Amino acid sequence: MILRNIALRHGRRALAPPLRKSFLRSLTTDTLTQDSISVEESIGQQQTSAYSHELPINPLHFSNPNNATRAKEGVKENYFLTKHLKKRTAKLGAVVEPVYVPDTFVRNPPKPEDVTLELLLASQSHLGHSTSLWNPANQRYIFGIRQGVHIISLEETAAHLRRAAKVVEGVAYHGGLILFVGTRAGQSSAVVKAAELAKGCHLFERWIPGTITNGDQLLAKCDLKVVDKDDTEITSGFETKVEEWTALKPDLVVCLNPLENYIMLHECGLNNIPTMGIIDTDADPTWVTYPIPANDDSIRCIQVIAGVLGRAGEEGQKKRLEAARTGTVTWLPPPGLGRPEVGGEAEKASFAAKSAQSTVVQGNSEASPVFTRQIGDSPEL
Amino acid sequence: MRGRNLKPSRVYQTASALLASNSIPQPPVWYQTIGAIPPGEILTRSQAPQHREIRLSKKVRKPSKSFRPQQIVYEEDLLRKQFYNDHPWELARPRILLENDGRDGQNCNWANIRQPGRPLNGESVVQRQLWLMNEGQRQKDEAYDIARKEFYALRHEEEVERRVAKEEALWTGAHFGKGALDVGMGLEDKTYDEWLEWAKTNVADQAMTREAAYTSIPEAAEIDLGLDGEEQTELPAAA
Repeated sequence: MILRNIALRHGRRALAPPLRKSFLRSLTTDTLTQDSISVEESIGQQQTSAYSHELPINPLHFSNPNNATRAKEGVKENYFLTKHLKKRTAKLGAVVEPVYVPDTFVRNPPKPEDVTLELLLASQSHLGHSTSLWNPANQRYIFGIRQGVHIISLEETAAHLRRAAKVVEGVAYHGGLILFVGTRAGQSSAVVKAAELAKGCHLFERWIPGTITNGDQLLAKCDLKVVDKDDTEITSGFETKVEEWTALKPDLVVCLNPLENYIMLHECGLNNIPTMGIIDTDADPTWVTYPIPANDDSIRCIQVIAGVLGRAGEEGQKKRLEAARTGTVTWLPPPGLGRPEVGGEAEKASFAAKSAQSTVVQGNSEASPVFTRQIGDSPEL
Repeated sequence: MRGRNLKPSRVYQTASALLASNSIPQPPVWYQTIGAIPPGEILTRSQAPQHREIRLSKKVRKPSKSFRPQQIVYEEDLLRKQFYNDHPWELARPRILLENDGRDGQNCNWANIRQPGRPLNGESVVQRQLWLMNEGQRQKDEAYDIARKEFYALRHEEEVERRVAKEEALWTGAHFGKGALDVGMGLEDKTYDEWLEWAKTNVADQAMTREAAYTSIPEAAEIDLGLDGEEQTELPAAA
């Protein structure tokens, strides 16, 4: 196809300036004489040589300097020509209505501000279970009955989700470790994305009982690291402490299917760790600290909720690092860490610690004036 | 274990008690956040949203009944019931429940039974009928007749299109597989052949048991299996 056919098809008005013949030649797909000669040569070489190592590395000889300089001259004009053509022809044709694409909520999760009742309705978050299978403790979240199933009130879902998002943001702002858990099929991508945004940990396989209560055994192979207020790793001074340190526990657990993770939620209760979970009409709202009444069977609903909480965590982390850059440290170091052992120069930076894989260690900080003020006053959250 | 475990709901109070008793040297990371945003109320019942008018009887009603979730009823439900009673095969058509952004129904103007982005089915008849009743100021039956006749015309168009498309395809060389009737006939033929084999063996077995009962053995020519179809002879009953 030669380029000038585009002008004929879309009409002369589509292209204001006429195309120069030199552009056409550089853009054409017709066989050039030089290329045809080189192709014939390469075919001849293929037939004569019996072994592949005898063939030349560049059999088609496309690195001809004459070709290269000619191509370079046309590239700039080619680029602008393409841009001009796209601008002129992009709006031709039908207007494609925006439709739901299944992975939008994982690739680009919604923010807490974007949560609307229409979004929750479209994500099937209002569909509860059969009326005979309900947990009466969830009565306050139910809007009504339709076709034999309980319908969860969208306002309740939205209100509880916004509250949970604020909690996640606050915990992330204060340097807490958030664990996102979703062990059902199809939840893994949403869980991983949420953990990435909130700089927390994820779990999409079975929770091994004892991971919190028997963490030193089960998490023995997990690495630990000490980081400072800007999340930069501190490589020297804490080696012995890191070796001896106990397994870390999450500061907040977000569970997308609490019915299957009862043991994990029980362990969190034993260790006084706050939890949040998606509570369907047949789930028990007392198992978690912050219930989010919604449909736990719809993958789309899970993606929306996990996405919103991940975005809230992202916001909290952003605020924490911004505050750290200006000198305000929003968290306290863990007791027992102390100062770095090897520190002859006695740096005046304030230290913090975070783990590499699954645990958090809070580092001790120098008595900087900003930090002592932080303990005294009451911050936003 | 009796009672409910309220430890998850009481993490803040537990942490406060541990702090007050100096069991932990410093508050946990989440302490301020959860203190500022306490969890919502749980386990208490609230009055269920009302979807029907309650007949206020003179007798005192049981208070627990006001907490019971109610059926959500729309005025279209009666129209849907009537339509699907009259057109049961419309229930066999699959329905897509996927929504785009939750506002799919708000952009419809039911002055026309055909809506962009929505399939033509019983729901469009019902919405059209409702529109005619409300905006068009028609009676229910009149609106139903108008809507369903528009629907029939469009379904007829679809069928004609399908038939013409098949003819065009055949004319231009397409090969179709077996139709539903052909598949059914094939299954019936197969079942009949299987039965035939079974019948032959069964007749032979019955003949053998009969022979064993008698002292004399009848001639082979006297036994008529009735399989050639010329005579309608009944098979011998099981002994």
